Amino acid sequence: MTKSKKLDVLGETCPVPLVETRKAVRKSSPGEIIEVIGNHPESKEEIPMAVEELGLELLEIEEKNEQWRIKIKIPEED
Amino acid sequence: MKDEPIYLDNAASSKMDEEVFEAMKPYMLDNFAVATSDFAYSMGVDAKEALNDARETIAEELGASSEEFIFTSCATESSNLALKGVAEKLSDEGDHIIISDIEDFPVLKTANRLEKKGFDVTYLDVDGEGFVDLEQLEESINEDTILVSIQHGNQEIGTLQDIKKVAEICNEKDVIYHTDATHTFGRVPIDVNDIPVDLISVSAHTIHGPRGIGGLYIREGTPLEKQMDGGFQENDLRAGVENIPAAVGFAKAVELIDEEENERIKELRDKLIDGMREKVPDVVLNGPDEKRTPQNANITFHYVEGESITLHLDMRGIAVSTGSACFSKSLEASHVIMGIGGDHERAHGSVRFTFGRFNTEDQVEEVVNATSEIIGKLRDISPLGEEEEE
Repeated sequence: MTKSKKLDVLGETCPVPLVETRKAVRKSSPGEIIEVIGNHPESKEEIPMAVEELGLELLEIEEKNEQWRIKIKIPEED
Repeated sequence: MKDEPIYLDNAASSKMDEEVFEAMKPYMLDNFAVATSDFAYSMGVDAKEALNDARETIAEELGASSEEFIFTSCATESSNLALKGVAEKLSDEGDHIIISDIEDFPVLKTANRLEKKGFDVTYLDVDGEGFVDLEQLEESINEDTILVSIQHGNQEIGTLQDIKKVAEICNEKDVIYHTDATHTFGRVPIDVNDIPVDLISVSAHTIHGPRGIGGLYIREGTPLEKQMDGGFQENDLRAGVENIPAAVGFAKAVELIDEEENERIKELRDKLIDGMREKVPDVVLNGPDEKRTPQNANITFHYVEGESITLHLDMRGIAVSTGSACFSKSLEASHVIMGIGGDHERAHGSVRFTFGRFNTEDQVEEVVNATSEIIGKLRDISPLGEEEEE
């Protein structure tokens, strides 16, 4: 079964959502899925930027009622 | 992320040179004795000789005699000893101390504490590049002034104060002068035969030496009250078993630095500053173009927060630091950027790049390119950028 975790950064502003996402990524294992939920508009743009920089997989970005949800996958080990 | 990060935070701490580590090893594994007198066992005598040889090497770098240099645990302790030691010793003669507005925390916070204890502290303003006004210094010295502490090179923006002139003013007015040289020792020459300074704080870990060792130059005859009580070590001015491996490592670190290296570091710094100015619009160099420490570049990238830049650079394997508030864990934005007349936006967008022995030209190019790309993307999503465009 795929391991996954949720990260709630609702109400947090820059750079906290990014800092928390990095923390979650550092503590994750290969193949794990991280779901970040927040509402700070800039973080919705910055987190995908970080995903690319870290070589992670961006699975999904959803936005509803001023809340966004970003799904990130940690790459499997070679 | 890269396997080998690009480390540009050498002012915070630098990678220990392997030669330093090799020099220290025998005093960790083979000779573990404390420094003893000539009447004790040989291992202790050897340890004492190693300690004194290290002391001589470091003192020589300052043009001082080895009797005028003591080891401490770090430059913070050195500055604590300097300020508190002079204040306590001379409290009957006066209660006025002068420091600059942009001192690093060891001097700033020690002065704050002395102020709480009843000393009168004057905080000198600096100009837009971080320079102390020497006339203001001269005017601020009064009959109660016992100590002036003005740093040599600034920790954040690299401003190099004219410590020779400061020392001459203090000397003429018969006031003790201490300088925090943590960010210049080894990188910018200081000769105590030419500069009449009384006390100098120095550190090893900013010049590829070990952490946990610093030192204080104390000109012969300088009044100083011991702050760490205990044994009679370090000329009876700092009790505690000496950290001999670290002292040996500190001396090795001093031996390994030369003028050529400092020139190379300065060239890397200038290449980075030029590259940023060329490739990234709306940047400001904090601190002066000239008269700055060779290893320091501090740049404000307008409309973007320093934390974001630092985090995104880290994700690309590049380590730098920022004067912005959250990241530095202090409640307020950099007191240095604010001290030179910057506003919160300038402080929050400031990033410090500090160079060391192991940095290369290719790294500078990579950092400039990465920063330029990150800034471009962040400005596209930054509300500060939008405000500016309106």
